[in-house]
Amino acid sequence: MVMDAPTPPRPLVLLVDDDVRTAQTLARMLREDGYDVDFAADGAAAIGRLTRDPMPDVLVTDMTMPLADGLAVTRYARSRRPNLPVFMITGNPVLVTRAPENITPAFVVLTKPLDYEIFLEQLRAL
Amino acid sequence: MSTFVESRFEELKRYVRLSPDDARLLTDFRALAAPHFERITQEFYERIREHEDAHAVFTGEAQIARLQRSLVRWMDRLLSGTYDEAYFEETANIGRVHVKVGLPQRYMFTAMALIRVALTRIADDEARERAPAIREALTRLIDLELAIMLESYRENIVSRLRRKDELENQALTRSLARSARYVNAVELARVVIVGVDSAGTIRLFNREAEHVSGFERDEVLGTPFAATLLPEEMLEAHGTRVADVAAGRTKTYEIADGLIRTRAHNVRNVHWHLAFAPGDGDDIVLFAMGKDTTDERRVMERARQHERLAAVGTLAAGLAHEIRNPLNGAQLHILFLERSLKRDKADPELLEAVDVVGDEIKRLARLVTEFLDFARPRPLQLTGVSMHELGKRVTQLLALEASQSNVTLVIDLPLQDIVVMGDRSKLEQVMLNVLQNAIEASKATNGAVTLRIRRKPRHVAIDVEDSGPGIGALDAPIYDAFYSTKPNGTGLGLSIVHRIVTDHHGSIDVESVPGRTCFRITLPIEAPEAQSGRMKAAEAAGRPTEES
Ligand code: HEM
Repeated sequence: MVMDAPTPPRPLVLLVDDDVRTAQTLARMLREDGYDVDFAADGAAAIGRLTRDPMPDVLVTDMTMPLADGLAVTRYARSRRPNLPVFMITGNPVLVTRAPENITPAFVVLTKPLDYEIFLEQLRAL
Repeated sequence: MSTFVESRFEELKRYVRLSPDDARLLTDFRALAAPHFERITQEFYERIREHEDAHAVFTGEAQIARLQRSLVRWMDRLLSGTYDEAYFEETANIGRVHVKVGLPQRYMFTAMALIRVALTRIADDEARERAPAIREALTRLIDLELAIMLESYRENIVSRLRRKDELENQALTRSLARSARYVNAVELARVVIVGVDSAGTIRLFNREAEHVSGFERDEVLGTPFAATLLPEEMLEAHGTRVADVAAGRTKTYEIADGLIRTRAHNVRNVHWHLAFAPGDGDDIVLFAMGKDTTDERRVMERARQHERLAAVGTLAAGLAHEIRNPLNGAQLHILFLERSLKRDKADPELLEAVDVVGDEIKRLARLVTEFLDFARPRPLQLTGVSMHELGKRVTQLLALEASQSNVTLVIDLPLQDIVVMGDRSKLEQVMLNVLQNAIEASKATNGAVTLRIRRKPRHVAIDVEDSGPGIGALDAPIYDAFYSTKPNGTGLGLSIVHRIVTDHHGSIDVESVPGRTCFRITLPIEAPEAQSGRMKAAEAAGRPTEES
């Protein structure tokens, strides 16, 4: 993992999803698998969290949410950390690939229902 | 007739100087050539497939298989060394078969050229110093063979001319009072018009009738109307009513979903209108007027399918995306539950129950994905797609599945590759889908599935044949979304196949009897765009008018 701050013992994931119960279960499994997880329940809360340190090592966000969508959160996060790895989880991947601007580096699109094992592999490969 | 051929044959044999030495050379040559017969035959039929007028005489794959055996036997006979009366009488008969099926004479020459080249090449490659002598013997014999086969075409023309004269004489002596104006109108009408006399014999056959049926006028005039033009199934359903009109018991009769038999032993859809109309100038008592609806029906069927798809598409695509959200929650929680149960060394039955729920969620997810594929397809990405590559790839992908199901997967590709303009991954999806269905259908019988790819003049035909129990009712809506007979089917597989094939301007048909079901996918070799462009140009120009 490439990082400009000293490497923390456990990577920090910022998880953004308005489906709170599901997100909390996901967070719990990620913690079991060796990650620290911060959680935000909508786009605006996620952007609020991103104004503060510590910056997460990975952003995992839902696409369709109230107040600000996954693309808005991604754009803001990248303005703070240009190479931040981003996973976008969506029920409609076509919507995401039609995103108005090219966001570079590209983010990973995961289709719901999330295949957790594959997701974990990708996370560990970072 | 046979004495005529006999003397002619002796004379021709003398002309080309086919000698006993030639006969011996050719018999020896047979041993070298025989291992190549199979391959030559295959080349022979593939070449025919590229030419519309030649291909038109074929009636189906079963006939082609039979013909391939005939041709191998013919080559064997050609090099048998015995060139007597009986031999050439048979040659004349083979010629007559070709006249009868309506093979244009020119293709006898071109087809023979292929055989000649193939055989002389074998002589050159394998017969060493005897090659020049064998080549000469082959030239003599093959040209003799051609000359005799072509006699049949001459016999045919002579007898047709004679019949035509007879018919014209009859018309004159009865001084048919048909004014030239009406004759022209009947000729120019874009409607099939057949006039039938009180004995049920065809007396008038207009140009559109020739065009639709493929018969030429002088072949059908004087023959019985029903037997020549109406297929069995139509006679069964409407035969007595047709006879009623001919006898004047009924004045008119309409058959909207009627048929006509064609020269190539096929049928076309015709909307028939029969009218009892005796006149005093001629013998005709019944006019059968018909409109060829074959293409119309096909287009309508396609449009209907598209409409149905568009209607469900928009509404349901939105719903499908929404379903993925609860599925996401369910899948994560079930995984979480599974982990906890495993950690606590829970009862295996509990774990199994959790497994089942997990599988069901996956199945729902698959259903949603397939549905979206179908309702909101991505546009085609056209490239040249090699049928050889595609065929080999899909059979590789399915090899494991087939062997696990105890099904033998056979792939039968043409010698020469065919390249189709199409969307590679979608065509792959089509083949996988149809083949998977076939494998599943053949599982119970430990049967076989064949993927056969063949060239047609402007199309490629992809046949997937299985030995399963067959599709119960052929009019079952198998291409409709959510129609499924399989316990685990989503009912979308064939709908997607249908969609992709029609997007490629192709078609899909099925024939099924217990023990043999064959799906045939036909794709144009040209790009769909180029094709619709050409179709539009043709529409704008109107149908080509025939010379008069
Ligand atoms: C040199 C050229 C050819 C040879 C030596 C040849 C040989 C034969 C032979 C031996 C038969 C079987 C005759 C019988 O049943 O007694 C046959 C039948 C036939 N051939 Fe050919 N053929 C030639 C060219 C072609 C071509 C170019 C076509 C084009 C399509 C064709 C189409 C047929 C058909 C449709 C039949 C009859 C079918 C049936 O039994 O249903 N042949 N031919």
